[in-house]
Amino acid sequence: MEDKTRQFIDGIESSVRAGCLNEPLERGNTLFLNVQQKHLIPVCRACMMDGAVFDSAFVSSADPARGEFNVYYLFRAAAIGRMVVISARGSSFDALSETVNAAQWDERKIQDLTGLRLAGIPDSRPLIFHPESGFPAVHPIGGMQCKPQGGMEYPMAGTGEEGEFEVAVGPVHAGIIEPGHFRFHVVGERINKMETRMFYLHRGIEKKAEGNQAASILPLIEQISGDEAVANSVAYCSAVEQALCVAVPKRAEAIRAVLMELERIYSHLADLGGMATDVGFTLPASRFAVWREDFMRLNAEISGSRFLHNQVVVGGVAADLDSAKIAKISAILKKITETQTLERMTFTSSTFLDRVFQAGAVSKAVAKDLALVGPPARACGMQTDLRCMLPYGAYSQFAINESIEKEGGDVLSRFRVKLAEIKESARIAHSLVQHLPPGALHDKQAQKKHLDSVGVGWAEAARGSCTFLVEIAQNGTIRRLACRTASFRNWRALEKAVEGNIVPDFPLINKSFNLSYAGTDV
Amino acid sequence: MLLENLRYMFRRGFTDKVSSKSDDPAMREVAQLLKQRGSSPFARSIHVRMVDAGSPNDVELEEGLMMSPRVDAERFGVHFVASPRHADVLLVTGSVTKNMHIALIKTYEAMAEPRAVVAAGDGACYGWEGKDNYALAAGTGRVEDVLHVDVKVPGNPPTPYQLLAGILKAGQVLAKKAGEQHHRK
Repeated sequence: MEDKTRQFIDGIESSVRAGCLNEPLERGNTLFLNVQQKHLIPVCRACMMDGAVFDSAFVSSADPARGEFNVYYLFRAAAIGRMVVISARGSSFDALSETVNAAQWDERKIQDLTGLRLAGIPDSRPLIFHPESGFPAVHPIGGMQCKPQGGMEYPMAGTGEEGEFEVAVGPVHAGIIEPGHFRFHVVGERINKMETRMFYLHRGIEKKAEGNQAASILPLIEQISGDEAVANSVAYCSAVEQALCVAVPKRAEAIRAVLMELERIYSHLADLGGMATDVGFTLPASRFAVWREDFMRLNAEISGSRFLHNQVVVGGVAADLDSAKIAKISAILKKITETQTLERMTFTSSTFLDRVFQAGAVSKAVAKDLALVGPPARACGMQTDLRCMLPYGAYSQFAINESIEKEGGDVLSRFRVKLAEIKESARIAHSLVQHLPPGALHDKQAQKKHLDSVGVGWAEAARGSCTFLVEIAQNGTIRRLACRTASFRNWRALEKAVEGNIVPDFPLINKSFNLSYAGTDV
Repeated sequence: MLLENLRYMFRRGFTDKVSSKSDDPAMREVAQLLKQRGSSPFARSIHVRMVDAGSPNDVELEEGLMMSPRVDAERFGVHFVASPRHADVLLVTGSVTKNMHIALIKTYEAMAEPRAVVAAGDGACYGWEGKDNYALAAGTGRVEDVLHVDVKVPGNPPTPYQLLAGILKAGQVLAKKAGEQHHRK
């Protein structure tokens, strides 16, 4: 264990209680701290005092007969370069969201999944279950009887200002997008408050994974969010590989990184095009869409799937990048330099700048409060890129220029961050394919290993970081799969971003975040 | 700079030529369907309302790309509309979740006759393995289990041309239904 990590642990123990951490365990760049239930929240707070950022909260069933659960709180501790996992076992817990606002949705999800009531939770409305659509007979995790509290109502209060009225939008929207409900409380056109209601796409993926062999559920992981298939697969595989102590060959790591960068590029091209569409600037919008389609066709040529499905497997990758494929990738990456024309066109157009400048601004204070990830966080000056902060796979040997806007946090800043990231991704992908290390594509033993263990994995997807936690049983099956995507973390920022803006700017602001509804609802 | 911008604006040739000799079977099917369009009111104008009932957003992205300049489905009269009251075709994607069940049925009920339902993607066509998923409507999420389906477009996800072929087939179904309605009167 490094000195810095040792100091970090000592710091927590000295502020909570000496000996409160049972046998700290380090695996890769993850630090597992197991504590007694009564010390869980104090240890989490001490960890945050030391500069760690809240990442996610997960739950799993420990002993269904006695109603016991394992609760995990994950923190990104950039100072020691570790993901810190603080866990405790018990049958009743306190809520971290009483003091840490960012944890609210995570803990509401824990309540819905298990039937636990976390003491002190500021908002205890159901999150993933909609009263009007009915509750399941038993809670999915732990199998406790489901006893819904409250009626069919899902109260959404306004600010109470005189003349305020509600505009209800969704779940079925006007365009080609996913379902979600937005409740605007407006005076005239000005939005006083907006609340989202999600989980229309809750498909029970986490539950569905249980009982399957860890290596066999990648098609399910790809269903979490279609355009984050590679990033989610990589994060999931990293978690399984950590649990089973599998080393991924260098060549496989590099190929995974290439695929992730291609995914980031096509995803960002869609966002930039979408923002241009929403301000009515059709020329750049259609050009971005043309590139986008070209990238999708490239994906199909190199992987057989327009969304790069079936490429990442536990222990490595399924297919190699041969010289023909590399030539195709290099050729298309050169086209990215064409962005300069579009960049000039958009940044010199007053019609465009008028709409995006200061629209949907998120302050740095809000971003910190909600522990935002990805481009929305980078657009207000926060460092959040896990490729730099907690490097994984091929990124640990690669210097990456994180694209950060010093201030702003508005639609324009998010546009700039994404534009810069496309260029950086093209540079990374180009450099990686030119110097692919030789070697095997996957660890052949990986899929046969069995170990009763827990693993954590993460990846920087186009929308921000995603984190997976897997518990693997002795026979190699999944006991619990839990995931937190970037969209889940960033949705509440959208609520803050639209405050004070006008209703017609909502689609633009929403597009600048481009969160995945499916990835949130899982 | 102005000249350069203008040159850029008027550059042409982005749209695919839909040919019956293409390597892509879906494009060949589209070419075939376009040939047999006939003279029904739905031959050259199909208005589509899409509902994502539980897809992982990839089918939606492909729908978006179907309308983008490369494929440009609008040139064949395929048009996405904002309201189900304007729509001829209901395009349902994904396995139907419990939470989307009510919204899906309400959208369908808001449509005028004749109407056709297209189930797009493996999730919508086949649902999920097993019958007991707590989060899916009817336990399986198959669109068939909650609505009458006229055309199925399997695929994980279906490509823009596969989707386009499915919508054109729905146009044929509509033409037939409209004929029957007319006959009844």
